[in-house]
Amino acid sequence: MELRRASSVDDVRDGELLLAGGTELVPLLRSGLVQGQSLVMVGTVVPRAVGPGKIGAGAPLAQLECDPTIPEVLREACRLAASPQLRNMGSLAGNLLQSTRCWYWRLNWPCRLHGGDECFARDGEHREHAIFANDYCASAHPSDVAAALLALDARLRTTTRELPLAELYRVPTEDDRRTTTLEPGEVILEVSFEECEQSVYLKAMERKRWAFPLVGVAAVRRGGATRVALAGVAPVPWLLEDGLDSATPLPRNAYKVDVARALVKRARATIGA
Amino acid sequence: MARLIRTEKEVEGRYEEVWLVVEEDSLDQWPAGPREIVGRDAVRIDGRERATGQAVYTADLQKPGMLHTAVLRSPYPRARVTSIDLAPALALPGVHAAIGPGDIEQLTADCSFQGEAVAAVCADTLGQARAALRAIACEFEVLEPLLDPDEAVRRGSLLGEARERARGDYERGLAEADVVVEAEFRTQVVLHNSMETHQAVVEWIGEGVEVHISTQYIWGIRDAVAQGLGLPADKVRVVCRYMGGGFGSKNGPDEYTFIAAELARRTNRPVKCALTRREENTAAGNRNATIQRLTVGARSDGTLTALGGEFVNAVGWSGWSSGTEGPMQMLYACPNVKTVTYGAKLNLPPMKAFRAPGFVEGTFGLEALLDELAAKLDLDPLELRRRNHTDEAPEGNEYSGKNLLECYRRAEPHWERRHDVRARSTETVKRGVGMASQIWYGGGGPPSYAWIRVGSDGRATVVTAMQDIGTGTRTAMAQIAAEELGIPLEHVTVTLGDSDHGPYATLSAGSSTTPSVGPAVRAAAADAREQIEEIAEQRGLKGASVAEVVDVLEDAQILGKGARGPNPTGKQVLTFGVQVAEVAVDIETGEVWVERIAAVHDVGRVINPLGASSQIEGGIIQGIGHTLSEERLHDPATGRLLTTTLDAYKLPTIADVPEIVSELIDVPDQHLTNLGSKGLGEPPIIPTAAAIANAIRDATGADVRQLPISREEMLRALREAEARQKEKVGAPAGV
Repeated sequence: MELRRASSVDDVRDGELLLAGGTELVPLLRSGLVQGQSLVMVGTVVPRAVGPGKIGAGAPLAQLECDPTIPEVLREACRLAASPQLRNMGSLAGNLLQSTRCWYWRLNWPCRLHGGDECFARDGEHREHAIFANDYCASAHPSDVAAALLALDARLRTTTRELPLAELYRVPTEDDRRTTTLEPGEVILEVSFEECEQSVYLKAMERKRWAFPLVGVAAVRRGGATRVALAGVAPVPWLLEDGLDSATPLPRNAYKVDVARALVKRARATIGA
Repeated sequence: MARLIRTEKEVEGRYEEVWLVVEEDSLDQWPAGPREIVGRDAVRIDGRERATGQAVYTADLQKPGMLHTAVLRSPYPRARVTSIDLAPALALPGVHAAIGPGDIEQLTADCSFQGEAVAAVCADTLGQARAALRAIACEFEVLEPLLDPDEAVRRGSLLGEARERARGDYERGLAEADVVVEAEFRTQVVLHNSMETHQAVVEWIGEGVEVHISTQYIWGIRDAVAQGLGLPADKVRVVCRYMGGGFGSKNGPDEYTFIAAELARRTNRPVKCALTRREENTAAGNRNATIQRLTVGARSDGTLTALGGEFVNAVGWSGWSSGTEGPMQMLYACPNVKTVTYGAKLNLPPMKAFRAPGFVEGTFGLEALLDELAAKLDLDPLELRRRNHTDEAPEGNEYSGKNLLECYRRAEPHWERRHDVRARSTETVKRGVGMASQIWYGGGGPPSYAWIRVGSDGRATVVTAMQDIGTGTRTAMAQIAAEELGIPLEHVTVTLGDSDHGPYATLSAGSSTTPSVGPAVRAAAADAREQIEEIAEQRGLKGASVAEVVDVLEDAQILGKGARGPNPTGKQVLTFGVQVAEVAVDIETGEVWVERIAAVHDVGRVINPLGASSQIEGGIIQGIGHTLSEERLHDPATGRLLTTTLDAYKLPTIADVPEIVSELIDVPDQHLTNLGSKGLGEPPIIPTAAAIANAIRDATGADVRQLPISREEMLRALREAEARQKEKVGAPAGV
């Protein structure tokens, strides 16, 4: 395997895998879930400056969690993610692009996300899985940070375009199994968002620290409007538009609806929405 | 004088009759209470080596020319290898040998559980070995697995006979009861997750083999390897100086040792075979799941009249059916008890002993059931337990020593906190306090031996071929020797972990190392001390320090030897205790966290209070994981495991650890050996789950019946309690 340092964000060749913090990519490579022969290190060329309303995509989570200019929802999402060691290494964009923790997917079962024709979780063990948009693939998106940014209505700048964060993600379909809209070679450079008045992130997990969200709830109040986004409840970060009554839980994850309902209520109360 | 006796030997609650040559234990016990060194805090004598990385664990071992192994294991719970070709693996760079089904007994083409070993390759590097493994062409025919424990019992797929145990008249006991409570409890599969995975380095030297292995029982490995390889036992040397955890899973050599031995034989090189974390969490053993269908009958004053249970141990493909019924049989005075225990043989990875096997699971069921009874009778749970306490062992034998009532008394201040704890509840976070009792073995037994040598510098070396599983027994042995010799602790070295260095010592399982080897070490030190006293007399130095007495000896040494004496005849040696847990439950999100656990245990004389509190903390933390977050899951359709990595299998983190208060009764068991000490490795993990479950009931009124107490289980139990409450409120008043 080859490893080289990119000279600029445009210095990414076909077929190269982008390596920033490596906390997600390296385990995926080691378990054979991502194949590739060449890695390009982009950590030094992707912006990592943190300013009001604008964050370089290479900034490590550890930097965001303690920066007072960052809205509370994002700081807390970072604080509650992973462990201090992982947050020191893991980058903001890397966090947004992480793959599902669905155990079937991680164990390389021939599921729909791997190009197969079955979602094993739906009929199998799905207690950590999706309660929304789960009829094709029940995987849950694990990013706390993505939910926070979705609630902030953040925008992304990449090497080729600008887009709302919501458009980075797509629910996989029979014709297109991808979960993001990122094109090969496209690099996320910066995340930006408007100021907000109040915000909060609440997270339910299976132990006090270092676990992916069973349910993460990000809520942001701006003007008279409140945006609520959830982590761990759908194959993509989930903007809560119709409330939780429209959830379609599976037999063993209906509890997630109760948990989400309680946390959404608390989150709204916390930010005075 | 040596004496040949026929005696019962107990390990982890399993008894067997054995012949033993025992030596009389002629020393009187020390008076109760802390001595100069014994009974006082001692930091681990090998702490610095361990913390600085100087201690060489099996996992650290690098021998010149050593080869590394990768093992091909069945990815299916039940499958037959229809074809296998090792040639492509052998053709790859760095590969030295490959073995497949039938080459050794431990490699098979008929796989009965996921992770069963099929083939193995050794190469210069681990990377080469793994690449070679991928090159092996292996076809499996996948067969239908048996996964459901109840189904296994119905079909008669059992490991051994069903175990029926009864005393009194159970049916009559139920008829005499004013109240009967029935409940079904389920516990999950949990994984040992030793920091050092199972591994061995095997090298053929001369006519024998040298085995470096992470093990709890170097002598057991020696015998098993000798038998497996057809060697005389004295041609097998087994070494384990430092150990990165075992918890019961490392009592035998397992497949990896024989794989390394065969590959070492074929290549004439030292060969290491080390399990990866995923292999470890697949095939290296587990605490099996249980189903417990329990019944208790009691009079309205709380006196138990009947206890009954059907216990199904989901053992897996092999292993043994542990004493899940033990607490129900042993803990209370109840005259009528009837249990049946099944060991379901399934196409799941075999169980192995895991820190008080059976009793952790059985105590959860029994002690949660008792609190459901207490709630029904509106009795104080601690008072209910006192009313059913017994000073006479219900199964016949007398207790060698029992201070459970004293444990209850010492638990009172912690128990009294429940009023304040409950008062700190809010609308959404309910707090409560629960307790559970502990009963377990832990007396150890003969044989175990120790030698000691004292040089003219007045320093002593204890030589015994035991192993320190990581609990700090090395330090405890040094304390015992220093105390008996009357020399400073820093002047004692302990040499252990090598079957070629020193005499036999027991396995480190069943909380048995300190109570088994400790008395032998004291006897050896006493033997040396007596010789030193004789020299002192001859030198006219009676009463002088050891260093002064021996300083003219130059190269001469004082040699002492000692043996573990017999256990008290006709007496049961057991450990007891109680834990009081304080928990908080978020009733909207189902989150449960533990805020405080107080533990009071009775294990006889305490050698090292500091080491003992570490054992208690470790047991409780492992117990919290078992209770709240750990679970090995398998896919229900195929039986394939889903949670073999540490991100999916959730051990507790430091953030999950509550305040832990540990107290020990510290009264020597006057019938037991020259020390009066019992083991403490296992007792602290036993009552934790039940104490937490009972605290949850105290906080919320909900009966949790299943481990782990996930949010799903917690919210289910809360809904059920709410429905029950509504029914009660809605029911017509009267009667």
